[in-house]
Amino acid sequence: MRRISTFGIVGKFIVALITVVIFQGILSLKFKAFSYFDLPLICSVYYGFTMGRPIASVGIGSALGLMQDSLSGAILGTNGFSKTLIGFLAAVAGSKFNVDQPITRVFALFLFTLGDGLLVTILGLMVNPTSSTPFGGAFGGWLLSATLNTLLGLGLFGYYDRWSNATT
Amino acid sequence: MSRTVDTSKRSVWIALGVAMIIHTGLISFQASRRINTSFIRVWMVDSLAPVEKLVDRTLHGVTHVWENYFALVGLHRENEGLKAEVDELRMQLEKQHEDILESQRLRKLLSIQESGIGKTIVARVIGRDPARTNQTVTIDKGVSHGVKPDSAVMTPQGIVGRVIHSSNFFSIVQLVLDSQSGVGVMHQSTRRQGIVKGTGGQELELDYIDDDNDLKEGDVFITSGLDRIYPKGLPVGTISLIGPRRGLFKAVQVRPAADLGRLVEVICILDHPDAVDVIDPTQESPVP
Repeated sequence: MRRISTFGIVGKFIVALITVVIFQGILSLKFKAFSYFDLPLICSVYYGFTMGRPIASVGIGSALGLMQDSLSGAILGTNGFSKTLIGFLAAVAGSKFNVDQPITRVFALFLFTLGDGLLVTILGLMVNPTSSTPFGGAFGGWLLSATLNTLLGLGLFGYYDRWSNATT
Repeated sequence: MSRTVDTSKRSVWIALGVAMIIHTGLISFQASRRINTSFIRVWMVDSLAPVEKLVDRTLHGVTHVWENYFALVGLHRENEGLKAEVDELRMQLEKQHEDILESQRLRKLLSIQESGIGKTIVARVIGRDPARTNQTVTIDKGVSHGVKPDSAVMTPQGIVGRVIHSSNFFSIVQLVLDSQSGVGVMHQSTRRQGIVKGTGGQELELDYIDDDNDLKEGDVFITSGLDRIYPKGLPVGTISLIGPRRGLFKAVQVRPAADLGRLVEVICILDHPDAVDVIDPTQESPVP
């Protein structure tokens, strides 16, 4: 019986993670501005903060990053590496700080988005150093992405908090 | 109690280490190209892209129903005096209009198919890069349809990009806007050759042109065919801005001819006389 419920929980997580990546791809196609958002990153941070299980957060970040890499044509492992680290750091932060406070969430989402952009770019350049994107231009994109992710993340976190409080 | 905590901490570090080693291994295998990791991507794309296609189709259907029914319900409320027959006719008209637009689009695509640029296939764009690191889109045609890495992709307006990864039924297309994309081009009137590179933004950048003194805004560039990916003579874009000289060349921005922000259907060129021979269709593209 316990095994069935474990399978059910894992299944729900898998469906949720696939949905997040698929929606990121489709919404970016339909609305160009949506490409500045990073739903998988927000999802990694949220699960890291709320689950209190670093191993699961590492697994979630890893799976989300690998799916992103596969569908984006990026070098396999770059987003996986970055999201794994973010999942882990979010889980650690969740156990050390009060992540229910909006200010903590703002800082975390902003810094994690910047860190993600930097790490993915560095890993990409290590494998393929011919990228011609000017660093200044990329940094501007990261800042915009970090701001938008923070705003969306705050909204989604608040919504999930209310939803989970209502269902428990 | 402390032993339990230590064991738990240790397993966290082990999980993190294993995940990091897997990702680092994947990255280094692709960098060294010693081990072919393309099967992982093929498997992932073949598993995820059908879901993406299903969601895309569903959204398309819902939008269609919304535009052709619910929007008219609003109009009906505003015009309560109108007869129901008028509503029905309007709905039919809307649907026919949509059909006409679609048939016009497909006719344009077909005319290109018959223009002698080689063997082609029409594909639908079902998703965009979910990671924002690359400018790529996913199309619903793969190796089983004849699409392989380095197949050129275009619309009736101009080139779109090239296929960089192909799974059995889906492919990832690198747009010309991608910062790692480069296209051999030719000035339409002077026939001077150069290279147009992606910037990662909305515009392309012209480089390595023989002589840039007489370039002016509005000049058109077409493919030169020298990169052996794109057939010669396809529209690439027009000059949108000419900046000051940077080193040997002027800073020249080119606006893509194809509307890359609104891709719905695209044409994949499966085979053309100047194409590069790809030995293994499932092999990862050499320069992603």
